Amino acid sequence: MKNAFLILFIGAFITASAQIETPGPKQTKKIMLLNGIAHLGNGEVIKNSAISIIDGKFEIVANAATIKIDFKQFDTVIELRGQHVYPGIIAPNSTLGLTEIGAVRMTSDYAEYGMFNPHVRSIIAYNTESKITTTVRSNGVLLGQITPRGGQIAGTSSVVEFDAWNWEDAVYKENDGVHMGWPKTRHQWTGKKNEKFDKEVAQLNDFFANALAYSKVTDNAEKNFRFEAMRGVFNGEQTLFVHANFIKEITEAILLSKKYAVKKLVIVGGYDAWMVADMLKENKVSVMLKRVHSLPERQEDDVYLPYKLPKKLLDAGVFFCLENSGDMEAMGTRNLPFYAGTAAAYGIDKEEALKLITLNTATILGIDKTVGSIESGKDATFFISTGDALDMRTNNVTSAYIQGREMDVDNHQKKLYRKYSGKYENQ
Amino acid sequence: MKKLLLILSILFCFNLTQAQETFIVNGTHHKIHNYYAFTNATIFIDYQTKIENATLLIKDGKIEAVGNKVEVPGNTVIHNLEGKYLYPSLIDIYSDYGMPVGVKKGSAGHGAHAAKGTAKKGAYNWNKAIRPEVDASQLFLVNEKKAAQLRKLGFGVVLTHQQDGIMRGTSALVTLGDDQANAVLLAANVTNQLAFNKGTSTDNYPGSLMGMIALIKQTYYDVDWLFNNKEVDEFNISLNTIIENWKLPQIFEANDKLSILRADKIGDEFEMQYIFKGSGNEYQRIKEIKATEGKLIIPLNFPKAYDVEDPYDALKVNYSSLKHWESAPYNLGIVAQNEIDFAITASDLKDKKMFLKNLRKAVKSGLSESAALKALTYNPAQFIGKYDKIGSLEKGKMANFIITSDNIFNEKSKIHENWVRGKQHVISNYRLTNVTGNYDLNIAGTIYQLAVTGSPEKPVGNIALITGKDTTKIKVDIVVKGKAINVNFNPNDTFQKGTVRLAGNISSNGGIWDGNGHLSNGEWIKWSAIKGKKEAKKEKKAVVAKTDSLVVPKTQYPNMAYGLDSITTAKTTIIKGATVWTNEAEGILTNTDVLLKNGKIALIGKGLAAEGAQIIDGTNKHLTTGIIDEHSHIAISRGVNECTQAVTAEVSISDVINSDDINIYRQLAGGVTACHLLHGSCNPVGGQSAIIKLRWGSSPEEMKIKNTPGFIKFALGENVKRAGGTSRFPQTRMGVEQVYYDAFVRAKEYQAKWDAFAALSEKERANVPAPRIDLELETMNEIMNKERFISCHSYQQGEINMLMHVADSMGFTVNTFTHILEGYKVADKMKKHGAGGSTFSDWWAYKFEVNDAIPYNGAIMHKQGVVTAFNSDDAEMGRRLNQEAAKAVKYGGVSEEEAWKFVTLNPAKLLHLDNRMGSIKIGKDADVVLWSDNPLSIYATVEKTIIDGKVYFDIETEAAKQKANATEKARIVEKMIVAKKGGAKTQKATSKKPKLYHCDTVGE
Repeated sequence: MKNAFLILFIGAFITASAQIETPGPKQTKKIMLLNGIAHLGNGEVIKNSAISIIDGKFEIVANAATIKIDFKQFDTVIELRGQHVYPGIIAPNSTLGLTEIGAVRMTSDYAEYGMFNPHVRSIIAYNTESKITTTVRSNGVLLGQITPRGGQIAGTSSVVEFDAWNWEDAVYKENDGVHMGWPKTRHQWTGKKNEKFDKEVAQLNDFFANALAYSKVTDNAEKNFRFEAMRGVFNGEQTLFVHANFIKEITEAILLSKKYAVKKLVIVGGYDAWMVADMLKENKVSVMLKRVHSLPERQEDDVYLPYKLPKKLLDAGVFFCLENSGDMEAMGTRNLPFYAGTAAAYGIDKEEALKLITLNTATILGIDKTVGSIESGKDATFFISTGDALDMRTNNVTSAYIQGREMDVDNHQKKLYRKYSGKYENQ
Repeated sequence: MKKLLLILSILFCFNLTQAQETFIVNGTHHKIHNYYAFTNATIFIDYQTKIENATLLIKDGKIEAVGNKVEVPGNTVIHNLEGKYLYPSLIDIYSDYGMPVGVKKGSAGHGAHAAKGTAKKGAYNWNKAIRPEVDASQLFLVNEKKAAQLRKLGFGVVLTHQQDGIMRGTSALVTLGDDQANAVLLAANVTNQLAFNKGTSTDNYPGSLMGMIALIKQTYYDVDWLFNNKEVDEFNISLNTIIENWKLPQIFEANDKLSILRADKIGDEFEMQYIFKGSGNEYQRIKEIKATEGKLIIPLNFPKAYDVEDPYDALKVNYSSLKHWESAPYNLGIVAQNEIDFAITASDLKDKKMFLKNLRKAVKSGLSESAALKALTYNPAQFIGKYDKIGSLEKGKMANFIITSDNIFNEKSKIHENWVRGKQHVISNYRLTNVTGNYDLNIAGTIYQLAVTGSPEKPVGNIALITGKDTTKIKVDIVVKGKAINVNFNPNDTFQKGTVRLAGNISSNGGIWDGNGHLSNGEWIKWSAIKGKKEAKKEKKAVVAKTDSLVVPKTQYPNMAYGLDSITTAKTTIIKGATVWTNEAEGILTNTDVLLKNGKIALIGKGLAAEGAQIIDGTNKHLTTGIIDEHSHIAISRGVNECTQAVTAEVSISDVINSDDINIYRQLAGGVTACHLLHGSCNPVGGQSAIIKLRWGSSPEEMKIKNTPGFIKFALGENVKRAGGTSRFPQTRMGVEQVYYDAFVRAKEYQAKWDAFAALSEKERANVPAPRIDLELETMNEIMNKERFISCHSYQQGEINMLMHVADSMGFTVNTFTHILEGYKVADKMKKHGAGGSTFSDWWAYKFEVNDAIPYNGAIMHKQGVVTAFNSDDAEMGRRLNQEAAKAVKYGGVSEEEAWKFVTLNPAKLLHLDNRMGSIKIGKDADVVLWSDNPLSIYATVEKTIIDGKVYFDIETEAAKQKANATEKARIVEKMIVAKKGGAKTQKATSKKPKLYHCDTVGE
């Protein structure tokens, strides 16, 4: 179809099929996206953009009015007519693919038995056929850091793309980091004081001391898988993610990571992180900020504090992105763009808000060289929405691409919608 | 309820003579009928009558005379109380002294439901928490150790009962004497006791506060039935006992300000005025508590300060805990000031030694001394109808009194003796000769300088020996017994190398000691010690304690962060030039004014003006009606589910509204003005619900929307199946259907019985027992009579159809299917049946039954003509329902105007409130929200939330409120640190995080 203009109208194409969503084939044709409002993910916007995609990568990323484009080069030219183009949203600290139905224990694979499990790896349990994932990517969330939960050290996460035949295909960055929960001062459900808190902190210290000592040699007489899994944290190949919300936990986590010479530390949660911004900056610790749509932790907190935390962290100069763990988290991942929207409603620039779910996330996960923004040379992982994707009122994802592969944005829910709409229409 | 004509049964009468009259004496009788006189004392005859230099005369455990001119007979033992104080001993009417502690015997376990009949053996009530037959007098045993502990605090008589269960039986009045029980027990069946506490009952029912309330009510109805129908076939000891004890004073342990109001509501229904045992936070709802007209029994358990020196730790203590710490000592003063009759109890005090300390603290914090004394003498005696025997020192009353060193409210005042029924109990002996001072000790001519320090009970002696330049201190042991004294020491000097042992007598009021001594060489000598001249005491200027005019900490409504200083008032208001989403045929009006007057929407138009109206600029802003959350579980106390039975239609959320939930304020900040507070989804027929407006600062009753039809929660599906363990029926959807048919048919049969009874002539009725009122079935009939409407938790289409069939067959309509995530599959059937759908915008995948939930559900139901709403079931989502409404635009393309109705007008319709709420229409309630932007947009923020014309949330005052929160917290933290440095006991910084309820939350 050389030289042909393929004109797409708003919301016009629904690839209505009854089939299970199938991974898109490798990009073979050269694509030009024209006249879309491109939100690059690095803070910039190009209103009438020209974006070319060749071999799964972005090549031209420019203002269509200021460059000369040789349309003959392209197999497909898509006229976007003011639709919005966004880099694929990244869901960090996610259990997608590790759980299917919350209440059905047998569908859950995110929490291993025991307190210290750095060696368990989420990637091999990641289910590429999850019905939830298809509803998530239909809203523009295209990558995720699949993360184990539970215990003191939950396990090792990996970053995946949300369109794959199996987990080996899905891997974007394998074993990117180890996840640790800072001991809680009170029980999550009962609210009662955790009497074992001191003991748990001591156990953590003991574990780190031994893991560090073990990592100093490579010819250990007897292999210890738990300690083997910690090597990356000490040699800088992996990030240590510490899940902690409150000021004391955060500062203690930083001190522990310094004590054991952890190379890269990220705080996950970070409700109080803005209060210790200087310490975070000084130690180059970034934050995956807890779900923006949550209740304040303290009675007297600003009623909107969770909405305003992005602004507080931004103003304080802390490097951070947004995460989504908590109640209903797997299925709620599709609301990630709206957390950025709320952050924008409460004081930050919309493009800055977009960074919090794209480029900043990529940077914290160490994948920003290849993904996270619409920039020449990076993976063509992006989506198109007829309106502002950060607002549920206008978010309407019409197509999505991962490394140039067009993805099926259909899902189980859309199928049921069509099925039953059809039922009434035919009555 | 029919008035009960009950006979007060007095099983025991007062017996003021020694009760062992009936006992056989071993050997010679030894009865003492002497008089005892206590002279020269400052005597409080009662809480308000103080006489100086007076005499109290007692005999045989009773008071013979008291006053300034008491004639002392010859056979009198005289106690000179010069300088001392004498008070009637204190009375505690909330005690478990001498009671056995209830022991939980095994657990009923899963499935062992109350309905199976797990009651205690015998002809008692079916529920083990109802134990009115317990008679404290029969359980009572003297416990000398505990009696001594209470006597030390100044108590002489306590009213005791076994603190176990919801209906706990009767109390017994006992002295704190150490005699045989017969001499200690004064009266049985003095009061009847109740509490919101299941105690050791192993029955699963009731599993929530609302269940307890329902159980009490049902029990009262059962009592009424039994009382009025002599011919019934049931003999029930428990219920009979309630009848017998109906006219006794009734003491209800409510243990929270709001629970006092709850208990009072029960009382009002049954013409019963309880005396409330409170918890010490009465000041937080003092106006409402005063209005109950109930008397109070209030503990002195002030919270300990927190360790807040570490600012990070201080963050853990929430605002309300700090506030209560500061205010708790002022509670009694505030109660007194409001002219509420109250008694003080030492119960709830873990460390009983804090009793007098805290009492004095209360007196320093605004409670007058006479009110304090009244609350510990007159009031407790009067509450239980025993002031003729105890509570003051008038002739003929029991000789129960305490002797103190000073005014009992003075910090340093000591209780010396506690006389119980004319029997002396020494606590700190005032008769001890005080030998402290400096003496010249002369032992056979050798003089030593003896310094005696310490206390009269424990004198400590030291002799300073000067040899050359050195001074050595020698310890001297001194033992005083009455007027006899022993002195022992070893000077180890030229005079003596061994121990000098001296024995002698004290004379001249402690000034001179003399006697014989024995030296270590065996030689007997004479010795004496003469007190030196008093050192010219530094004239201690009586530091007149700066009595700051009393500053009572400000109480906020509710007493927590964002609480109000005063109740919000309505003002005539015009919102000018806004984009107005009317939800009416007019649609969305631009540049429009809305006038709010007298709590209603008065005018809509352009260029509106009204005298004295406050103007709110609505330019570039959007004005909508307030959001109504059809499914919420905020603002509920002690349990959202009464899980224990498949049908619990008798319980009601409206009995347990919690006006102190911070989430009320947080919902206001999200533009929510009203919530339907539902029972959980544990059982096929849950409890009745409450509809409230979020009138922050108001009491639970004031929050309720008046004159609304009743609602009730039903539930289908997985929650119903999995709740209550593995042996509660139903375990399948099949069983659920049968539960419904059974409940409705039973209700019909019940109604038929009543109808038949009503059809009888009066004469016939006299010979036939009336049917028993059954609250559960009454409620089921309300549903069938269309007086109460169902909001049914539901997911899958099959069961939805099933319930509609049940309803059709019983002649009513299912009002609302809530959650209804498969509503899109049966929208046509719902429409035909007339049911509405209140769903989640996009939740799914949390249970197997929501596998087919789709976010397009709302759009499809709406398109099929079903009245469709989006709800939250979640305190967090509840404050973003505007965003959720926008998802109906995103998923399924509902128009913005219609999508907005999903969270406003449509829930109003579902709640039968659309005649007064849900749209901006003249005459409707002035419940409006001003938004910064299109309310469906994620960029919209709430600027003002107005209910009944009153501004409850205002973005403009938020910064000031937060600042006030911070300042107030810092002020109290500072006070706490000072208190700790001053010796106050502290606890680790922590706050219990309040539990958030969802549909499936089990337990309190």
